Amino acid sequence: MDYVYTILILIGLFVILASSFDLVIGHCGLISIAHPIFYAIGAYVSAMLAKEGGVPIPLAILCGGAAAFVSSVLVALPSLRVSGDYLLIASIGFQLGLIEFAKHIHSIGGAGGLTNIPPFLVNDYGRLSYVLLVLAVAALTVLFVRWLTRGPYGRMMAALRDDELAFSMLGRNAIWLKVSVFAIGSGIAGVAGGLYAHYFRFLEPDQFGLLQSSAILTMVVVGGMRTTMGPVIGAIVLQILPQAITFFGLPPSILGPLQGLMFSGLVLFFMFARPQGLIAAPDIWAGRKPKAGQRGGLADG
Amino acid sequence: MVEVLKVSGLEKRFGGIVVADNIELALVEGRVLGLIGPNGAGKTSFFNLVCGVVKPDAGSIVLNGQEINSLPIRERARMGLARTWQNLRLFQSLSVLDNLMLGPRDYSADNLLNVMLRPGHVAERERDSRDRAFAILERTGLTEIAHSPISDITFGQQKLVGVARALMNDARCLLLDEPMAGVEGQAYALIQRVVRDIAASGVAVCVVEHNVAFIRDLCDEGVFMFAGKVLARGSVESLIADPLLTELYFGT
Repeated sequence: MDYVYTILILIGLFVILASSFDLVIGHCGLISIAHPIFYAIGAYVSAMLAKEGGVPIPLAILCGGAAAFVSSVLVALPSLRVSGDYLLIASIGFQLGLIEFAKHIHSIGGAGGLTNIPPFLVNDYGRLSYVLLVLAVAALTVLFVRWLTRGPYGRMMAALRDDELAFSMLGRNAIWLKVSVFAIGSGIAGVAGGLYAHYFRFLEPDQFGLLQSSAILTMVVVGGMRTTMGPVIGAIVLQILPQAITFFGLPPSILGPLQGLMFSGLVLFFMFARPQGLIAAPDIWAGRKPKAGQRGGLADG
Repeated sequence: MVEVLKVSGLEKRFGGIVVADNIELALVEGRVLGLIGPNGAGKTSFFNLVCGVVKPDAGSIVLNGQEINSLPIRERARMGLARTWQNLRLFQSLSVLDNLMLGPRDYSADNLLNVMLRPGHVAERERDSRDRAFAILERTGLTEIAHSPISDITFGQQKLVGVARALMNDARCLLLDEPMAGVEGQAYALIQRVVRDIAASGVAVCVVEHNVAFIRDLCDEGVFMFAGKVLARGSVESLIADPLLTELYFGT
């Protein structure tokens, strides 16, 4: 049963990561794949605050999210002021640089990893309580992204993707929009990191590298960008498939590469066969319907 | 005669090509100025310089008495400068209504803190801008296609959407880049009437246009541009009657 709980927690965490990443890359059109580093920042900050600072764990997790939020602003602001394309380079540099840096900091465990992170809920209420917590945060994340992207912010993001110059000529601040969406997405990833840290209780820098970047990107692409359920389905499928093949009883020497092959195989398959993903986003942005009795409802359209 | 926009000594060159050569021009409240001249005369470049899409090499641009040379595009728009684009630049993944709803000069709903913490305020702004958008759609005869995607409407309607979106700004100064190119029939008279109404409400309007009849019917005054220079200004009638300008225009 513990195995099933762990899988459910991983699915929940990756739903949070994929959904928040879709906000950044899908809805806002910001090209960055450094999502895992904000996951890592949330995980490490939360773990260190709880372990060394004695901060209550819920507060530590929120501080982890805040740290990811702030650091993402620091990465995005200078690069987005120049041009959108620099964000990809700056964020990957930040991701790989910070991972290398973390390997040499002994106080956070260095390359060997950070151990003995204080647990949360599990000792008092059992693993199921943690499963419910993670799934609740995942559901909240999905609903929040849906709410944000179907309101005026979603309209702005659609316009920004279409034509940044025309968007600016309407007096709207493109840089501010990009930085704030990037920061929200990264902040949510930071919260997921805290949730990860206090369940698995072990962190090492290498797990937040490009392999994880590609895993999250694959989830969003396979599931379907700019859809509510796409990242959810992507996260579920790409968590369960690699687990499923472990039941074939293959030796680890084959299993590892096989999982990697499956990932890249799926991406290739979808790029050719169904580039829009399992769920296709509509071509035209649709916001929330105005309340009844108001002009502009679909009824009079 | 209140000068809403005043440009003096404006210079810009791209390598050897001069697009603005010591331009002196003022746009006056309630009046429509027509910019005419052959392709490459610097008419659209003039708009781009005024809007901040392109930075001038020299000269000053004053909007509402404030120099705006160093301001980014969005700040100029926030001061009441609006424009349309030769290639429209409509938002293809939004409906006609949503294209307009990005236009109002109210940015409180853009603030993330307001979005998160004051949903009631944001909803109120949405209602206001929807009402405003519908009022403008009615003026421009677009009410029936309010919910259509841009790709589903005719080119003439797209031109009107561009003008309507610019009107959402409630601008003091409106720049129209070839509003009539490719437009015929009903939309022609409609655009003409809309622009005249805007000017009558006290907006300073500047129109770049190749359709001479349109310019003659609409503009209070014309300016003839060639190679980045203002060659002549006066009534549109007198400009098109000038044989020298006609020769430059048609390149004969």
